[in-house]
Amino acid sequence: MNTLAEETSLPKESESLWGKAWYKFRRDRTGMIALGVVIFFMFIALGVWAGLWGSGWSNVGGDMWAGPSPEHWLGTNIIGQDIYSRAIYSTKTAFEVGMVVAILSTILGGILGALSGYFTNSWVDELILWLMGVLDSIPFYLFVAAIAYALQGYPYSMHIAMIATFWTTTARLVRGEVIKLKNFEFVEAARAIGLPQGKIIFRHIMPNTFHILLVQATIVFVGAIKSEVILSFLGLGVVDGVSWGLMIAESTQEVQAGHYSNFLTASTFLFVLVMAFNMFSDSLQDALDPKKVSA
Amino acid sequence: MEMLQYALRKFITGIPLIIGVTLISFLLMVYFGPDKTYELVGKNATEEQIQEIRHQLGYDKPFVARYLEYLKELATFDFGYSDSTGERVNSILKRTVPISLALITPGFVLGNLLGIALALVAAYYRGHWLDKLIMGGSVVGMSVSFLIVIIAFQILLSSNDGLGWFPVRGWNVYSFWDYLRYITVPTLATVFVALGYNTRFYRAVIVEEMGRDHVRTAKAFGTPPGELLFKHILKNAMIPIITRIMFSIPLVVISGSLLVESYFGIPGVGKVTFDAITTGDQPILKAVVGITAVLFVIVLILNDIFYKLVDPRVSLK
Repeated sequence: MNTLAEETSLPKESESLWGKAWYKFRRDRTGMIALGVVIFFMFIALGVWAGLWGSGWSNVGGDMWAGPSPEHWLGTNIIGQDIYSRAIYSTKTAFEVGMVVAILSTILGGILGALSGYFTNSWVDELILWLMGVLDSIPFYLFVAAIAYALQGYPYSMHIAMIATFWTTTARLVRGEVIKLKNFEFVEAARAIGLPQGKIIFRHIMPNTFHILLVQATIVFVGAIKSEVILSFLGLGVVDGVSWGLMIAESTQEVQAGHYSNFLTASTFLFVLVMAFNMFSDSLQDALDPKKVSA
Repeated sequence: MEMLQYALRKFITGIPLIIGVTLISFLLMVYFGPDKTYELVGKNATEEQIQEIRHQLGYDKPFVARYLEYLKELATFDFGYSDSTGERVNSILKRTVPISLALITPGFVLGNLLGIALALVAAYYRGHWLDKLIMGGSVVGMSVSFLIVIIAFQILLSSNDGLGWFPVRGWNVYSFWDYLRYITVPTLATVFVALGYNTRFYRAVIVEEMGRDHVRTAKAFGTPPGELLFKHILKNAMIPIITRIMFSIPLVVISGSLLVESYFGIPGVGKVTFDAITTGDQPILKAVVGITAVLFVIVLILNDIFYKLVDPRVSLK
């Protein structure tokens, strides 16, 4: 009886891609730890959002550049704000940027990629390919700067710029997959029974590209958080609120005066989250793509 | 001759791309960009003076006319004078582009060469601890923000708290020795950041190539490992590698140098462009964006010609 119970925990052939992937992912220790770290950060972000902690990020409560103390766990910055609460609050900013950009650019990339893959060699495909080529050829930081100025300080100009440029990679991958999928029998069958094209593309083909979309979304999430830091430093990023990028930007003056707490705190938070997300993304890719070359 | 014909034909198909890039950038940066009129007119300007300035800047012409003028400027490679300094745009570019190239090239070349070398080692010892070490290192490298690397390297190598070996910022290059002193820290930072991504990408390419039938055959025939790696694997992996390197060139020249130049206060093209965006210096923006677009199309063409050189099976049709 025991052996039978063990056998049933192995994946059965009838199980779906997702079931198998989850089974594989659960056994990947690095992936699970990374997921744990990501969930922990998300918990911090949700807490900030609910107002449980980090709400005193803008209070000027202490002396300038105070060292660590019971009130200010990680000391204070150049104008006496608590570095710990600023770093905690920034977690929410990072998730906000990452989520918004990852979700919207994945949706955009998925839809346009599917359309372009399904209608290959038509004007739709040509147009989408041209748009992708154009967006990929504009230097990213110039594009963001231009959008920021064109929108006159609109707080979401950074998000818009990132969504507008990050979808192209997803769309290219989806396009390749759809070109392959559209010659499969189930699509032919759907066409034979006279389903409308929209239904074939979005109900029958698109769900088969979800594994690409999921992995791509995690990659875009990391890209968005990393770009936010550089854009905030250049003065193009987060307008109201605080982010790790803004903290690093303000720390560049402090570092020259020999105060490293702000810089180290923001860098560590950023590094740990990005690293965990990268590892999670890798494990996800391993679990979802049976053909992926790995060790 | 066949090559030249091909290049020309390819260039013509690249024209829609150039038009798209210039149109979108023109719309964003020039049409919706900052309005310079009120910076240039004096206090208490009359209506005529304002109209006069707007006329000089070309704001009063319709959109299509302004855009066509821009295309003409791009075709003749004459972008007029900077709005802010009055210097000819061409002479600004002539001054700043070599600085950016001198700054970025060593890091770009080293980052790619080291990436390929590490990828070869990792792929050769696939599954071994050395492979795991290199791949683990690249995930770490990928996870550190470029900005943090720049600041950290500057603290460690240039500041008084650190080693203090290199100048903190600026660009006073009069000799080769100066040049080395000023580029070391930016180069190390660039290589550090590029290495993670490059190694991972190249390893994936090489590992895929290693699984091919001809490699197994060569191995079965007893080809020595060095020859196998370089002749049978690396040579075939060249196409994706070249593509990656080529396509990063136009972006590295502008975007890549932007952060390094603004952080280290180096007067290269990235910094000039960034300043141009913030001040609304349209002639410079038009020049930089237009040239990047043309550069992209040239890279597309060169890329295909390189394919042909590397792989004789590719035909230029």
